Amino acid sequence: MTIPEGNGPVSPSREVPLTPDRAENWHRVHPVSPFVRGWIALAAMAYFFGRDWFEAMFRGEPLWFLTEGRGIWAVVVLLVVVLLLVGAFVLSWWFTRYQVTEEHVRVNSGILFRQHRQARLDRVQAIDVIQPLLGRIFGLAELKFEVADAGESAVRLAYLPLASAQQLRATILARASGVELDPEHPDEAPEAPEHPIVQLSPQRVVGATVLSGATVALAVVVVVIGVAATVGFVADWGGLPVLLSALVPGMIAVAAGYWSVFSTAYNFRAAVSPDGIRLRYGLLETRAQTVPPGRVQAVAVTQPLLWRTKDWYRIKINVAGYGVSAENSGARTTLLPVGTRDEVMQMLALVLPDPGTEDPFGVFTAGLAGQNNDGGFVTSPPRVRWLSFLTWRRNGFAVTETALLARSGRFVRNLAVVPHERTQSMALHQGPVARKLRVADLQLQTTVGPVSPVVYQMDIDVARRLFNEQSARAAAARRHSVPERWLERRQEIVPEQAGGEHGKAEDEQR
Amino acid sequence: MRSEPIDPPDISWIRVAPKYITVRLIGWAVSALISLAILSVPLILLLTGVWPGFPAWLAWLLAGGTLVIQVWIGLLIPRQVKAIGYAERDEDLLIRQGIFFQRLMVVPYGRMQYVDVAVGPLERAFKLASVKLHTASPQTNASIPGLPAEEAARLREQLSARGQARLAGL
Repeated sequence: MTIPEGNGPVSPSREVPLTPDRAENWHRVHPVSPFVRGWIALAAMAYFFGRDWFEAMFRGEPLWFLTEGRGIWAVVVLLVVVLLLVGAFVLSWWFTRYQVTEEHVRVNSGILFRQHRQARLDRVQAIDVIQPLLGRIFGLAELKFEVADAGESAVRLAYLPLASAQQLRATILARASGVELDPEHPDEAPEAPEHPIVQLSPQRVVGATVLSGATVALAVVVVVIGVAATVGFVADWGGLPVLLSALVPGMIAVAAGYWSVFSTAYNFRAAVSPDGIRLRYGLLETRAQTVPPGRVQAVAVTQPLLWRTKDWYRIKINVAGYGVSAENSGARTTLLPVGTRDEVMQMLALVLPDPGTEDPFGVFTAGLAGQNNDGGFVTSPPRVRWLSFLTWRRNGFAVTETALLARSGRFVRNLAVVPHERTQSMALHQGPVARKLRVADLQLQTTVGPVSPVVYQMDIDVARRLFNEQSARAAAARRHSVPERWLERRQEIVPEQAGGEHGKAEDEQR
Repeated sequence: MRSEPIDPPDISWIRVAPKYITVRLIGWAVSALISLAILSVPLILLLTGVWPGFPAWLAWLLAGGTLVIQVWIGLLIPRQVKAIGYAERDEDLLIRQGIFFQRLMVVPYGRMQYVDVAVGPLERAFKLASVKLHTASPQTNASIPGLPAEEAARLREQLSARGQARLAGL
């Protein structure tokens, strides 16, 4: 595919591309962007010089690079470095341009090694609008456009004025959804109306942090310290300080655990709109994520040990564009950081609009907190008791008309939900011990993410039947799956011809 | 080969080429010799008197243990290769493998993103190839090694054609 060179007029970023760009229309991001992105380099330089200066001032000595006639050179070097940095920033800004056409979003970047990248709008898996701390000061935001690429963002526009980023997101989603715009005002893509679902109170966030897994780790650390101190004191053992200092990394890990729970859940709000699920959160850096309908590949509801006292749960999702390696993916793949059972049900209803069962509440409640056969779950046979004496009553599965529920975990409860139409492939596993017990594990394979659904230790006949029926169900569901343009009126499903560019961003480098 | 408990009934598996046993055995022989050579160094040093202080039991255990493990692995290879099988169904491809740790995998044609055919130098000498299927899930580790080259080409074409006919989104 030939990509237009982009010699046409380039408009400043304040003009939002409301109408589809023609091939020669290009935009630039906000001129301040390179400094927002590059401030770390500038801050590092300031720190490096500033520290020497400070220390020398306190010692009352002249600075080494200002003595013996070196002062003028120091200033020159500093100026050159700053100029080079600023020049690089400005050049990279100047050579980065983007456009959003009817079908594609394109970004050209690079000075020596030019990169032309385009992604199809209807392949969008998620759109994030991110405001780092410095971006919030300038009122700027970054827009991330994700396709099924498991990690690397297809398109990152950093930075746009916040209002422009939001308008651009609405435009992209409107075009990607295939919605029919008002014929009298074809250039207005209104932001889809939102309906708030969940908002986390500060008390809940603090409570969730205090009761998180980090507290369990902290308790272990405290016990270890106590035992070691007692033993060391009694035995008059010289190695005690060494042991205690080894606990410092442990304490740092505990603090990091608290921080990650707190910063993810802080000011968390979830809403639903025709364009999908909207999630907003963040303490220093704020994010607004949009996941269009049908983009969630798998869901896991977990309950850490101490949350059981409050009946709280956490929901994680697999979205093809998010991956695991990308920065902040732990927060990005969280659909609900902490929620009551009712809130969990509401969020599950968003992800799985048609639960495919008469009594969704009963089935999912059994999946969250039940055991044995309540809610129609099938569990491991009793003969695996001696092998998994804690979990055999929990390990199990239930099938609705639209999804498979895999339940596991006794102390840390876990429920994985995979819509039939999102099943990628499946595998039955059986080791030597499992063969003796005539059981097998069924693994449902989904895209990269925190959810990996497995049905553990099913009777071999049950597992084999599930395997067969599930592949048939998945095949049937694929034929009736929601179209990628989610608001487009349904048509007869025509097999697509082009398989090569399937869901990938197209790169061209030279 | 008898049907294993996890195999679905009424499936006739297509087995990989028996020549693949030879390929695997050659690969095994090379790696076994190297590891044996490295782990026998203490024993040789001990017997030649260069390093008499080395504990004799450890030297014998290292060399003997490696020998036993490698022979065990080598003896398993023919059975492992015979345990690999695949079957093309209407909607999906079934792949099985393993003796102790068995795995049965199903990959729907509509979920395939692309198909790899890979040939190494040793495989090329025996006119073999491996076919690997990729879906959007990295956990889909669906590779069929040791196919005759023409069968690999046929399978690739067949899979691509069926994938196109049943293409689904993510």
